[in-house]
Amino acid sequence: MSKQGFKTFKGGIHPPYNKELASGKAITRAPVPAELVIPLNQHIGAPNEPLVSPGDRVTVGQKIGGTDAFVSAPVHSSVAGTVKAIEDRPSFTGQIAKSVVITADAEQPAFEGKPSKPLGELTADDIREIAKEAGLVGMGGAAFPTHVKLSPPKDKPVDTVIINAAECEPFLTCDHRTMLERPSDLVEGLKLLMKAVGAKKGIIGIEANKMDAVDTVRSHVSAEPTIEVDVCDVKYPEGSEKQLIWALTGRKVPPGKLPSEVGCLVQNVGTAVALFEAATMGKPLYERVLTVSGQGIKEPANLRVLVGTPASVLVEAAGGMVSGAAKLIMGGPMTGWAQEDDTASVVKGTSGIVALPPELVDVRDEHACVRCGKCVDVCPMTLMPNFIVDSVQKEEWEKAELWGAVDCFECGCCSFTCPAYIPHVDYVRKAKAEIAALKKR
Amino acid sequence: MANSKFMATVSPHLHEKGQTIDRAMRDVLIALTPAALWAIIVFGFNAFLVMLVSIVTAMLTEVVMRWILGRKATLKDLSAVLTGLFLAFLLPVTTPLWVVAIGSFLAVGVAKELFGGLGKNIFNPALFGRVALMISPLWIYTAKFVEPFWWRGIGFFSPIHTSINNAVSGRVIYKTFTGGVVNATTSATPLSLLKSGKMLTNTVTGPTPVGATWLTSNGRPSGWSLFLGLKSGSLGEVSVLLLLVGACYLLYRRTIDWRIPVGVLGGALFIFLITWNHPLYQMLSGGIWLGALYMATDWVSSPVSRRAKWIYAVGIGVFIGLVRLYSPWPEGVAISILIWNVLTLLLDRYVAVPKFGEVKKPLFNRLPAFPKPKPIRVEEKA
Repeated sequence: MSKQGFKTFKGGIHPPYNKELASGKAITRAPVPAELVIPLNQHIGAPNEPLVSPGDRVTVGQKIGGTDAFVSAPVHSSVAGTVKAIEDRPSFTGQIAKSVVITADAEQPAFEGKPSKPLGELTADDIREIAKEAGLVGMGGAAFPTHVKLSPPKDKPVDTVIINAAECEPFLTCDHRTMLERPSDLVEGLKLLMKAVGAKKGIIGIEANKMDAVDTVRSHVSAEPTIEVDVCDVKYPEGSEKQLIWALTGRKVPPGKLPSEVGCLVQNVGTAVALFEAATMGKPLYERVLTVSGQGIKEPANLRVLVGTPASVLVEAAGGMVSGAAKLIMGGPMTGWAQEDDTASVVKGTSGIVALPPELVDVRDEHACVRCGKCVDVCPMTLMPNFIVDSVQKEEWEKAELWGAVDCFECGCCSFTCPAYIPHVDYVRKAKAEIAALKKR
Repeated sequence: MANSKFMATVSPHLHEKGQTIDRAMRDVLIALTPAALWAIIVFGFNAFLVMLVSIVTAMLTEVVMRWILGRKATLKDLSAVLTGLFLAFLLPVTTPLWVVAIGSFLAVGVAKELFGGLGKNIFNPALFGRVALMISPLWIYTAKFVEPFWWRGIGFFSPIHTSINNAVSGRVIYKTFTGGVVNATTSATPLSLLKSGKMLTNTVTGPTPVGATWLTSNGRPSGWSLFLGLKSGSLGEVSVLLLLVGACYLLYRRTIDWRIPVGVLGGALFIFLITWNHPLYQMLSGGIWLGALYMATDWVSSPVSRRAKWIYAVGIGVFIGLVRLYSPWPEGVAISILIWNVLTLLLDRYVAVPKFGEVKKPLFNRLPAFPKPKPIRVEEKA
């Protein structure tokens, strides 16, 4: 047991959480922007082809991009409107992404859809099909197609489905609010996930800084003997898949393996709720809840946002930006992407928009490593971040792999605590790219 | 609004407050302050001069060396100040100031800057400077210890102007700048008493020491005087108590890792216990606490993984015990730490740390120690 007395893992850090900025704000609907930019590829896997052409009329929830490949997720229009163009636009990662640009109609009809079958009659295959058609992906940030996760290899049965409600990223409160406002939908979504993989147990893992959510969700699972709500230590990265599985079940996923290796499946709160909506209303994943927060935002808020909405509209919806804000981040402040401007649009995996004033931005020149070993102590994967950096600097890619570059999931604990201000994550990404290129050869 | 520019840097976008190199250096300086003040009280104003010369030389050396080597000035990270203070802590108060300056130059100029600057140095710079003096012809100037409160007879501010007249009898002439000459006998350190066997036979002789409380009636320092710092020795090592106070602050600030001092002290204690060679005296004497708490814990010259840290720390402790008991030297802290500073290179490379979820892992990494050199293309001139 840990210092805080809850379930936890080894390593990790305690960043300033600043959750109170937005945790008390109920989820509200963000305005419909005049123009939406929907990237065709918002998932990990095979690229989508556009299914519409410029000038076409589209309706809410219409599929506008898809592919026959298994590891993929289709994208849907989030508004009724006209396709203006299909062109390359800079995405939130700074890379160029093929996107569908849609001009929204002034009047937006409500989404109309109906379930394929009553909830009770759905089979495991039905649920997988629903998840695929709805374009569900992991909504915590990684955006891995959900139906692929729901199809574990036959020889590795999944017995436990875990809902990742740790929400360990500072500032973000969208999962917290979702649990408070839609606990029964979450539990229903979890039951669908359990049915899809034939799991006998469901665990909802919540960090101890959200005790109100723990109470709310617990009251909704009191009648469910197979589902339990577990409280985790407040520590980053508690919400990392492997760390959460270890904390909640005591099982360790081996390096390079998937959670199904130890009979687990992890899904985000948003994903579970989205699966419930897809099963009961036939609603595809074209909108999500995200948090707009940070000391650089005037009125932090939790917003229900249409995929494709530019960040500027959401910042405006949250009262605008404090003058002189130095950083705008899509995602959480530990793993998110810093933006050069506010034009990038929200995708399925965007869990937040965080603006930081200059006094909270601590960027300095990189010093030579002083070998303090703090990065090694905090690394939740027990890798050697300092030696990965050293190997990358010397371009010794085999060594970089030995020290664990490939196993790194880029949580950023090492850089957070590094007295020399070394951007480890940058080096790790470089190492990953080089190692992948070497293996292809 | 749409075109406002923000800072686009790689994640994470937050940094731990107060976790910087200069803050860590400042922490160590704060931790050393009580011991430094105590050194001045016990050894007189000369102790202050030794520290001052050492620090100023270290800073000057860093500025000049970095300028020559074309590196950015880094004086404000305080690492030169710290190295200078550490070196002074390792020297007896009788060390002539020009010898102090040479040692300080070797520490910062050679052990740190020529190895590549802070972070690249293999040896603990201060220990390197100390041992370089010890094995050079200047050793005679750094081997004379005086009793605590030796200055009572001639005054707190009287500067020492040392010259050597007879290395064998160990007599040192202290001159004051006003021309007066004070003849005094150097004091044996507790460890040299142990080494010569005098501790066992209670045959410490000589004039009544100044500040007589430091000796018990049978002529040897009491355990309490060793612990509190009423003993002869190098500037910084005398008070175990004050070193511990400073180390507590560093542990609280998480600047040093508790595993290293525990390993060093445990390893040495183990040797003294199994040989039953005055374990209490051995543990309270000499530089073992300064070494364990402040020298072995140096970030740059100690291993990074916790496993390797244990091996390194216990190794140092065992080596200290062996050097003290089975070598001609009374003290072995500096040389033990320096040896393990080098072995750190191997520990870092070969001690394997299993990754998360990795079940079977050999204890040692298999990894080429020296990567193949990149082929050099020789272009022939036509």
